[in-house]
Amino acid sequence: MNRSSFVRKLVYIVIIALLLVPLSIYSQPSVVGANNEVSEGGKLAQLRKEYQISESSLGEIDPTGETIKLATLGLRGVAANLLWHKAEQAKMKEDWDGLQATLDQITKLEPHFITVWRYQAWNVSYNISVEWDDYHDRYFWVKEGIKFLLRGFRYNDHEPRVLYDVGWTTGQKMGTADEKVQYRRLFREDDDEEFPDHRLRPQNRRDNWLVGQEYFEKAIHLVEDRGASIRRQNPLVFFSEPAMCQIDYAIALAEDGIFEEKGKVAWTDADGYWTRFGQRSIPTTFGIEIRLSEYEPLMEQVTAVAKKLDDIEPDLRQKIIEERRAKLTQDERDAMDVPQQKRTPEQMRVAFEAQIRLNVSMKELADRVGQARREEAQKLVEDAVKLQERANIIGRERDVVNFKYWRMRCQLEKTDPALNARRLIYEADELYKLTQLPEARRTYEEAFANWRKVVDQFPEMADDAIGGTSIEDAIRGYFDVLKQLDEPSFPKDFALMDVARNMMIRNAIPIPPEFMETIGQQPAGQPAVDENGEGEKGAGANAEGETQPVPEEKTDEEKAGDASTESDKPAEAPAKESDPPADAK
Amino acid sequence: MVLENPYPPYLEWLFSAGYNPGAFWIWLLTMTGVIVFGLLVSWILSSVRYGPMKAGDLIFKALVNLTDDLAHTSPRRVFALSRLAVQESIRRRVIAAFIVFVVILLFAGWFLNPGKTDPAELYLSFVLTATSYLILLMALILSAFSLPADIQNRTIHTIVTKPVRTTEIILGRTLGFAAVGTGLLLVMGVFSYGFVVRTLDHTHELSEDDLDPRSAGPGGVARPGKEGQTTVTREHRHQVVLDENGHGISEPAQGHVHEVTAVTRDGKTEYRVGPAANQFKARVPVYGKLSFLDRSGRPAEKGINVGNEWLYRSYIEGGTPAAAIWRFSGVRPDDFPDGINLDMTIRVFRTYKGDVEKGISGSITLRNPKNPKVKYLLRNFVAKEFAIDRHKIPLKFKDKGAEVDLFRDVVSDDGELDVEIGCLERAQFFGVAKPDVYLFKREGTPWINFAKGYVAIWLQMVLITAVGVTWSTFLNGPVSMLATIATMVGGYFREFLDELGRGIALGGGPMESLYRILTQNNLTSELERSITTVVLLWSDKLLFRGPLYIAAHTLPDLESLSDVNYVAKGYNIPLDVLTIHVTMAVGYFIPVMILGFLFFKMREVAK
Repeated sequence: MNRSSFVRKLVYIVIIALLLVPLSIYSQPSVVGANNEVSEGGKLAQLRKEYQISESSLGEIDPTGETIKLATLGLRGVAANLLWHKAEQAKMKEDWDGLQATLDQITKLEPHFITVWRYQAWNVSYNISVEWDDYHDRYFWVKEGIKFLLRGFRYNDHEPRVLYDVGWTTGQKMGTADEKVQYRRLFREDDDEEFPDHRLRPQNRRDNWLVGQEYFEKAIHLVEDRGASIRRQNPLVFFSEPAMCQIDYAIALAEDGIFEEKGKVAWTDADGYWTRFGQRSIPTTFGIEIRLSEYEPLMEQVTAVAKKLDDIEPDLRQKIIEERRAKLTQDERDAMDVPQQKRTPEQMRVAFEAQIRLNVSMKELADRVGQARREEAQKLVEDAVKLQERANIIGRERDVVNFKYWRMRCQLEKTDPALNARRLIYEADELYKLTQLPEARRTYEEAFANWRKVVDQFPEMADDAIGGTSIEDAIRGYFDVLKQLDEPSFPKDFALMDVARNMMIRNAIPIPPEFMETIGQQPAGQPAVDENGEGEKGAGANAEGETQPVPEEKTDEEKAGDASTESDKPAEAPAKESDPPADAK
Repeated sequence: MVLENPYPPYLEWLFSAGYNPGAFWIWLLTMTGVIVFGLLVSWILSSVRYGPMKAGDLIFKALVNLTDDLAHTSPRRVFALSRLAVQESIRRRVIAAFIVFVVILLFAGWFLNPGKTDPAELYLSFVLTATSYLILLMALILSAFSLPADIQNRTIHTIVTKPVRTTEIILGRTLGFAAVGTGLLLVMGVFSYGFVVRTLDHTHELSEDDLDPRSAGPGGVARPGKEGQTTVTREHRHQVVLDENGHGISEPAQGHVHEVTAVTRDGKTEYRVGPAANQFKARVPVYGKLSFLDRSGRPAEKGINVGNEWLYRSYIEGGTPAAAIWRFSGVRPDDFPDGINLDMTIRVFRTYKGDVEKGISGSITLRNPKNPKVKYLLRNFVAKEFAIDRHKIPLKFKDKGAEVDLFRDVVSDDGELDVEIGCLERAQFFGVAKPDVYLFKREGTPWINFAKGYVAIWLQMVLITAVGVTWSTFLNGPVSMLATIATMVGGYFREFLDELGRGIALGGGPMESLYRILTQNNLTSELERSITTVVLLWSDKLLFRGPLYIAAHTLPDLESLSDVNYVAKGYNIPLDVLTIHVTMAVGYFIPVMILGFLFFKMREVAK
């Protein structure tokens, strides 16, 4: 009995010893030899190198963290969980020192767990900062979050997402918070030694947006030059950030009352950044790489193809439309005969559905082409569909970053009339604050005259809600000045009457009875307000492509849109971007 | 400092505290209940085996025996057995705990960041926590394994064959191990204090280049002296303002200041920055009783809840008669010969941003409780959050042109004073809790306060030793260690066990929680009604609530015995709190020891 037990133990020992052999081969470390030759090491070492998950390839090694990890005897996950709970408790009970100490401990245990760095940095910068009433304290905590991320980057120097968050918090949090004026000022004046590189920056670079941009660019550099991954982050947003920072910087300069050369340079740079962003090759979830600026050339090609198709049998499209029109019911014809702005909701619906039936897609057109050239026509449709599909993808992706809008904004804001208008509005606002009303009025009017030039040059901006916000604010200020000067309405020659009228319709400014007359006296081409005051809604609907454009007036772009095999879609839909095309208005 | 469950004065706590009938009566009632229950269960069990008459006889004999043991316990024999326990502890290399402690201190600097806003708090709480964990671990191991090892090795016979009583064996072991722990704690305490003081000791440098002439004062009036900032040491620097002689006290940073003096050497002025001062504090506060006025000026039990998860503070609405009133007692001129320092920490809640550059204003009004209609406006202030904002109440001050004498007009004859705080800005709120406003009596001695913190650890150690020895009287070593660990863990999470026992814990009892984990339901989501959930909820109610409730109310309240918070935050541990803790420990120690005697008596070896 004893003997068999002894033999059994011996067998176990031999098996263990034998198993150690492959284990040792498998886990051999990579070592540097006498002649600086680096051995590949065992399979585990090779895998670590391949996936860049060895401690040394992840970033700086922290001896403290390594010691704690060892001390937890493999229970660091449990320990981190407990500490996480402790941190939440500390946050709830407003024990900020305790929270910071606990966060330090968690990151020592889990230095390569990116979510910890990102989540807790956000927690500190966004949630804890607002627990304090004094903006100096708030700024301190926003900065603590940024410092936390920078510490995280030391241990994870291949992680662009950490740098991205540094850029985001520096730019967005400091630049858009309610305390942004104070934050930006404190940031410029900050001499904190713990804030890396900040003291070394020249004064003109100590702007939160420019520093944010710096970190976004570092993050992009990691992706482009070191092949780092942005994981599930949207590449469009990721790559757009440096340009957006430049735009935000330019906007912030105007808010700070800085115009002239510096403002012009900032917007010119912004235009440059945005153009480069448009030319960047960006992967999409559709499995193809795109360039956002490709959209217009693609649409030109689609239009050219559509024209070629129409040219095969020039009268065919009109003929098909007439055939279809003849098949419409009397109700549908009646609805379409009513002028668009006078249609009832039911007539609008009927007319819209009828219009869809009247639309002729490229495929339908090609199928009706005579036998001799039908193959040529179908080939053209095939080409158009491919081009249109790519354009559609780009169009959708452009919407994500509002590409077209920002491109236009960059182009217009750098013009002299726009810069002048912004400067004058700033001055007028200041005069208004000083209750120098006649001067404020004069300055506002001068500003609006300049902005009129901008709107004329870039008509799409007139109705824009975002870019127009500051203009609308100015009109509101002007409106108040007029009220205080006992002026009953906007002057007849008010340069931005169309914008003001839109604001009244949206109730952005009140509509006193005497203004209704002014609104009614709009230049030709501007839709009038109907008896319900809802005329603009109709106009808006028009811009959204919900009502009928007469077939003869369809643009080439829309026609090209018809190339889609999903012929039941409204013709405008495929070509739609966030900003309706000018020709659709 | 946050005090979530502030204690009333000792006698009030012991015999009567408002709606609470007093700790002593509760203890007495619980003890009686436990004894009656124990006797009843013993009698029922014995009756089954021996019949009711015999069972009664046996229980009576056991009680007589126990009383006899207790009455004839000899301190001399207890001392002798304690000495044996000490020798055994030394044999079992108890010094290892101390070595581990020293190693922890040696490397503590790696884990502690001295750049925090108050590093003294961090370091003090670290050493106190590390000490208590280590000492409790040591007490646990010593107490849980000693008796079982003796019984297993039969060395216990060398003791029980001597003329010693069971009570003496149990008491001797407990006191012996406690003595070892006490010795270790003393050494650890000295080392810890030395470690904290030495680690946080630092100075800065200041040279002529760091200083500029002082900026002009209000109205452009030139001010003598210089101002500037020191070099960075331990991740902070100080702003300094020096008088014309080059002397000054730096602005506080990280909770301390430095004295700066100028020395002229070879015609050149050098500045000497002294060591960190006021780093360690032991403020002696006088806390008051807090009451509220609502927005109509009517007395209210609480202020407004602004939606915080943590309900520690109540809020008062600005621009209305709402106010928070603290009534301080025992305010004597002898304690405040130079006037009263009123320390405040006020939270702010804004319902609209208002002027970001400006803080929210409030007012401090003083009232004589005997004549509450007469109010004296001390001053208006801007709230400072998470920091102590000190306001001086001078012995004499002016209100509406008339001179007010603090102790003649405001403080009542029996030493009571009302301090009323209101928020002046409409639709903004001030948040307060009772300990947020106090009268600063004096600065205590930090090292004595530190020692008091160690007394609390000592009490925990003695309790764990007693519990360990008691478990070890009838369980073997590893099991009694687990039982003691369970007692410790339960003791630290007593409040949570109580919530589970009363069925008010978020996420429900053990079965419901398990179900939520497995089905990935969060803590608050409504559970669907099915047979499974109904069965689980009922099993929680029937199987767990009762035992958990009993456990919560019979385990030692180790968490409330800890005074780390006081020491770390720089507040003197009041004598009342210390005596309450000692009483609590004694109140627990006695029944645990009696249980130990009973269990040990039941064992064959002790007979």
